[in-house]
Amino acid sequence: MIKRIIVISLILSALLYAETKSENIKENNKENIYEHNCIPCHRYLPSSLGDMYMRYLKTFSGEMTLKAALKAFLKEPLEQTSVMSNLFIDRFSVKDKTLLNDKQLDEAINIYWDLYNVRNKLK
Amino acid sequence: MLALKNKDINLLRSSEKSSLLRFLALYTVLATMILLLLGIFYYKSQEELMFSNERIKLSNYANEQVKELKLLHHYFPSRTEYPRSYNFDSAIYDIERVKIFSTLKHSEVNFDKEIYRSGDKIHFVKYLDDYYLGAKYLFLEIDEDKEWYSKTITNIIILGILTLVIMAIFGLFFVHILLRPMKNSIMLLDNFIKDTTHELNTPITAILANVEMMDTNVMIEKNKKKLHRINIAAKTVSHLYQDLTFLTLNHNQQSKDEWIDLKKLFEDRVEYFTILAGSKKVTFYLDLNYSAIYIDIIKMTRVIDNLISNAIKYNKRLGAITIILRKEYFIVKDTGIGIEASKVSAIFERYSRFNNSEGGFGIGLNIVKSIIDEYGLKISVESVLGEGTDIRVEFLKASIGNGDSND
Repeated sequence: MIKRIIVISLILSALLYAETKSENIKENNKENIYEHNCIPCHRYLPSSLGDMYMRYLKTFSGEMTLKAALKAFLKEPLEQTSVMSNLFIDRFSVKDKTLLNDKQLDEAINIYWDLYNVRNKLK
Repeated sequence: MLALKNKDINLLRSSEKSSLLRFLALYTVLATMILLLLGIFYYKSQEELMFSNERIKLSNYANEQVKELKLLHHYFPSRTEYPRSYNFDSAIYDIERVKIFSTLKHSEVNFDKEIYRSGDKIHFVKYLDDYYLGAKYLFLEIDEDKEWYSKTITNIIILGILTLVIMAIFGLFFVHILLRPMKNSIMLLDNFIKDTTHELNTPITAILANVEMMDTNVMIEKNKKKLHRINIAAKTVSHLYQDLTFLTLNHNQQSKDEWIDLKKLFEDRVEYFTILAGSKKVTFYLDLNYSAIYIDIIKMTRVIDNLISNAIKYNKRLGAITIILRKEYFIVKDTGIGIEASKVSAIFERYSRFNNSEGGFGIGLNIVKSIIDEYGLKISVESVLGEGTDIRVEFLKASIGNGDSND
């Protein structure tokens, strides 16, 4: 009887651990979408992601407008639709098309918006 | 004569008065509306003037603020303090009209007006070409200088009153012009009656005197009937003459008040009208108690004569007239054609007639009313169309006698 109880307890603990682990992985994946897909390339650029955010903000103003413009650019990067200067584009060229799907792209853009949103920081 | 003329002119009929009142009401409403509109235009123009003065100042403030926003945008996020000024409060909104940051006291903003009043503040909106910090709209807020407001309201009140006075003077002038034809027509009719009255006196007196003197015993039946008809006709004309005389002369003379035995007076007048009533086969029913009042006998006779005369004139053939006399009132009832409820209030107007098939000038009840009003008596009319009319006259308690004074 005691053996049974111990076995059941072990199984339940294992299941609970698996569940927690899965959630953490999901959360980490979410974070990773931005960190793994955006930061690595931008790390080597002279213009930071924060600077680029401010350029987007200055050009598109509103949250929805900015996110829509950014998503469109990431899916179809063009020199004409880039917010960066010609000098920057001449030096580093326009990026490649994103490999992320729409859902992942939205998640990454949302993380990017929240990270640099000026509204929460103004005093 | 001049006083008489003026008095006649002032006797405006209620229909004329109501026309006059309607004109005055319309004129007042129109004048007020015009003044109101002018007031609104003036207020708006003053507000616009104030805005144009403030706009220059606010535009300069806005340019300063844009420079500060540009700097903040450039140094963000190392600097995060929103630029503030002692001169104004401000707010920034993005292209989707979502608030980015605000220090406004009145948070309600209007994106569609460049400058507007919000409570006791003035808001100014600047549309930015470069969206520093994402701002498309920059709102500036300053305290409103209320001096222009109090000055404008004072001007509106003063000018409004002044204009109203001027328009009232014009209004009186217009009313005078409007009333002139009415007054002329009343004067014309009054003058005609006065002139006619003088010409009636002698022939009527002669006819009545001769009819009274004629010996009917020696007449054949046919001639008796003819004389009877002459008597009725002469009395009718005589009654009209009495009314016209009263209207043009007696009405304006001093009253000779005395204690009058009304029962006796009613009996006399009924006897006088018996022949006239007989022509329509109208029967008198008298229910007379003793009553005495302090009044001019000629005037009281005019009241009674006119009420009885009307009761006969507007009665049916084979109808009845009931006269009830009590100490404090009398009633003259007829079984005549009656009066429409809507016209009852107008029966006392001069020259009002309700049945063109009957003769008359329409002055009888006007005379009755003027005497009733002169002595402070109360007259009331109850009438059912097709059934008849009851006219009740109530006496003033002060004018009622107990009989002792009558002797």
